[in-house]
Amino acid sequence: MADAIQWSPYLEKMREELNQLTLKETRHVEGHAIMPAQEFKTSQIHGGLSAYSAEKIEKIGIGAFYLNETIHYGFCTIIPDQNYALPLFISLWQEEIKEITFLVDLMPTVDSLIDEAYRKRYLESVQPLWERYASLPGISPVESDVVRSLCSIIYTAARVPIDKEGMRLAALAPHSEYLKNYIGFVKEANALENNATKREVERKKKALRRTLGESFAGEMVRNTVAKAVGDNLLELMRSILF
Amino acid sequence: MARVDYKDMIDFAKVILEDYKLFEGIELVPLETYEGMNTRPAWDFKTPMAFGFYKPYLIKGNDRIEKITIGELHYMKRAKYCALNMTTADDYDLPIYACEFDESAGRLGVTVDLMPTVDIAVHKGYLEKYYTPIAPLWRKYRTIPGFTIEGRCLLQRRYGPWPWARETLSPFSLDGRVEEREDRLKVMDAIVDYARVWLELLKKAEPIKDPEYKQEMVKRKKTMHKYYRELDPGGEVLKKIFGEGKHHLFVSLVF
Repeated sequence: MADAIQWSPYLEKMREELNQLTLKETRHVEGHAIMPAQEFKTSQIHGGLSAYSAEKIEKIGIGAFYLNETIHYGFCTIIPDQNYALPLFISLWQEEIKEITFLVDLMPTVDSLIDEAYRKRYLESVQPLWERYASLPGISPVESDVVRSLCSIIYTAARVPIDKEGMRLAALAPHSEYLKNYIGFVKEANALENNATKREVERKKKALRRTLGESFAGEMVRNTVAKAVGDNLLELMRSILF
Repeated sequence: MARVDYKDMIDFAKVILEDYKLFEGIELVPLETYEGMNTRPAWDFKTPMAFGFYKPYLIKGNDRIEKITIGELHYMKRAKYCALNMTTADDYDLPIYACEFDESAGRLGVTVDLMPTVDIAVHKGYLEKYYTPIAPLWRKYRTIPGFTIEGRCLLQRRYGPWPWARETLSPFSLDGRVEEREDRLKVMDAIVDYARVWLELLKKAEPIKDPEYKQEMVKRKKTMHKYYRELDPGGEVLKKIFGEGKHHLFVSLVF
């Protein structure tokens, strides 16, 4: 039955948007060669992750893998350069035969309750998309309390039931649309001049990356993925994405 | 859709105080002055459009409280706008307990939450410290019909048009529009259970030691006060009822 699944073109769609940026492939993250993660294959799992940098962007992590041919995972994360107050872009995709679970968000790198200008610029401007996808079947809060605590006021998350094949593409739309908006923000972003804001952004960015990294195994991918890839590759995947 | 007559609507304050005995064992003392304002005019009011009370309290022998307000505004004998707010003094970083409970014939619009006074994405310990006991309650009560219909539960429908308000909410807010009478009663369980958790957290509260952290917390708390007092659409209703300027006492007690 699994052979019959037409997995969604997650990677292709996300790469299509990312290609608006001039990407430079990254070969090392945190002192480790990323090669083992670029393409991996065992009896249980196969796929790969890549890392890039770009102007105003410290790191882009993107990839997909398939667990036992029954779950298709997709990830796309964008970590802005330290001189820019851009949000973190996060897209998590878990596709199964009958259901797709996903999260897409622009996580603020300042306290967006207090910083009204930031909120208007990066979050409220995306609100029309947030409202558009509110009617997507299966829309719901992110189940992980920790991950939900990082999310912005415009995150979109769902557990979309696949009762017809068109739903796979419908569930993919928020990811490519949010990414398109994010890339627009990247193009317009100006370097930070205020040192206090720089420190605030750095502090929050660090906290977000740490918590996201800690939540990777168990919260974002099932523990069976961790077992299938082993500790070293899991750590490398975490470094590429967060 | 069930319609509930005004006479059958929930006696918000009575149910909390007498039926659930939320403050049993705690001596509430009226707070006569709040932020330089005499609060007595709010204790019992009557205007051509509305009557009711917003009563602020402290807890006897407890210096950790800024205010505990319980209020009901009965509008044209058609609807009730009720609130319970519990806020600690600036030396403590407890979340703000906020409950808005607006009942009309067609539905009950409700939001109950422990609103974080710091950015929980930065202060992960805050999440563990204050929300561990709330998480199972959130999972239990989010299934009340009205919190989950229309797909995206909790945040979208009532707070959708106000991003500033969504910013103030925790990841455990309960929010929705509840129609059936029996479901409206279940909401009271949620309101009281969240409040009991807050009161337990209060017992264990320790004063903030780090001055920078305190400054950050107070700034966020004041911003939340400012938003709710100046931007909440409910404030417009209070302006109509009490007049521009006089309404400030009421919005300050509600949030």
